[in-house]
Amino acid sequence: MQPDAIALPTPAPRRKKPALWRRTQEFWLPLVVLTLLVLAWEIACRVFGVPAYLLPSPSAIWGETWAMRMQVLTHAGATFTTVMVGFLVSVAISLPLAVALTSSRMIANAIYPILILTQSIPKVALAPILVVVLGANELPRIVITFLVAFFPLVLSCAAGLLAVPPELLELGRACRASKWQELVRIRLPFAMPIVFSGLKAAIALAVVGAVVAEFVNADRGLGYLIVSATAFFKVPLAWGALILLSFMGIVLFQIVVAVERILVPWSNDNGKL
Amino acid sequence: MITIDRASKVFLTRDGEDIVALKDASLTIGDCEFIALVGPSGCGKSTLLRLIGGLLPLSGGTITMDGAKVTGPREDTGIVFQAPTLLPWATIKDNVLFPLSLMGKLQPDSKAKAGQLLEMVGLGGFEQKYPRELSGGMQQRAAICRALLHDPSVLLMDEPFGALDALTREEMTLELLRIWTERPKTIVFVTHSISEAVLLADRVVVMSPRPGQIVEIIDVPLSRPRSFDQEGSDEFQRCARRIRELIFGRRDARAA
Ligand SMILES: Nc1ncnc2c1ncn2[C@@H]1O[C@H](COP(=O)(O)OP(=O)(O)O)[C@@H](O)[C@H]1O
Ligand SMILES: [Mg+2]
Repeated sequence: MQPDAIALPTPAPRRKKPALWRRTQEFWLPLVVLTLLVLAWEIACRVFGVPAYLLPSPSAIWGETWAMRMQVLTHAGATFTTVMVGFLVSVAISLPLAVALTSSRMIANAIYPILILTQSIPKVALAPILVVVLGANELPRIVITFLVAFFPLVLSCAAGLLAVPPELLELGRACRASKWQELVRIRLPFAMPIVFSGLKAAIALAVVGAVVAEFVNADRGLGYLIVSATAFFKVPLAWGALILLSFMGIVLFQIVVAVERILVPWSNDNGKL
Repeated sequence: MITIDRASKVFLTRDGEDIVALKDASLTIGDCEFIALVGPSGCGKSTLLRLIGGLLPLSGGTITMDGAKVTGPREDTGIVFQAPTLLPWATIKDNVLFPLSLMGKLQPDSKAKAGQLLEMVGLGGFEQKYPRELSGGMQQRAAICRALLHDPSVLLMDEPFGALDALTREEMTLELLRIWTERPKTIVFVTHSISEAVLLADRVVVMSPRPGQIVEIIDVPLSRPRSFDQEGSDEFQRCARRIRELIFGRRDARAA
């Protein structure tokens, strides 16, 4: 018997390759639009004479930020460390937690209400209390970052672990696989596409969490820089820090997307946001 | 030989209700016999299949295989489901090898055997492809190879062609008969299709729901090898009509 006709490797119809500018437009088109917007912003600020404390022009933002580049970089480094440590701690805690949550109804009933509770606490309000409890150092900022980032990750890890087709688990049982084999060889790999959608949410939230923590308690970090710069009416510098923060968020998010493409090439979420 | 003696299965639902999925089913299946289970949805076909496979504990009765009581999954059983359920991250060949690797029974010649099996079902050039690159019919063929690789003596199939289009389905029916002739083994085959059941099976077990039970076991006296030409024969029509009566006759009686 022949393989189904539809899936036979048929020669693709000869089509002309689209021109280079068309194929790469996904990349350059947003850049062009962004450049135009910045240009319009600069012109508007100059033409209408908008005062810098209301809306500084791009050139003013660049000028002030560049002048302070060493300090800005140090602050960015501090924020980056908080984000990464908070994110990695979320990953390290969320996965085992999700495994526990999905392994038994009793554990789920015991843990789930506590999880909800941690989510209903306003993190901004918690931050000053944590400083008193944990001391004025890096730790409370990492804890806040973790608390903001980990919840969607736990949920998506749990959802992924539960999304395994029951037949596949049955096949595992028919092969007399142990619980550990079932987890490592079937459940976890199957959960990966959904885990990654949680990781993307978590990395974005980790940046938010770190900045919130720095607003309340810090002597370093881009969040701190924004607060102190605005206090001294250095609005362009605050804007510079804000833009750097967004840039950091985008790059970190794209790194997670790239890792997903390498580790989970079968995910049909690939390529999309 | 598989002996099913008054096998029953009761499920407890979440709100504490009992569902009698199977009641007092008795059936003896000979070695290398082809048995088809037919009946409306919810009559306990899948439940009976899983009980035979040792994937569910019995609520009553006994099932023995070659004299030994079935108490859990056995390694000499292969299973094929309605959906191919291949691992999306593994190549077709690795999918076929998956059960052996789970059981820790990979042999030096396993890969060659997997290759031969895939060749036999017409998937020769697709060993290194991923499931998403194959059509539904091809994926199901790979799933059948996966169930056959450790050469089980019993093959349990739960509506294996149910998700396929009609043409592919006929093709696969003949394919399965060919595999069964080449590598004889006991097959228990669940289907919704009356003609598929008659064409494939030595005996057709007709079941009815609420509670799920066996209403009649019909011998199919058609000669082997079977082909679709036999669908026109008197014996075929007689068997099919009897099964239809058993399934729809009861339903009409209840509606009246
Ligand atoms: N795990 C389960 N828990 C509760 N009820 C079940 C379960 N599996 C099957 N049932 C019930 O048992 C009956 C028979 O199911 P099944 O064997 O799947 O029927 P079939 O395969 O013939 O459609 C149905 O009423 C179904 O709802
Ligand atoms: Mg079923």
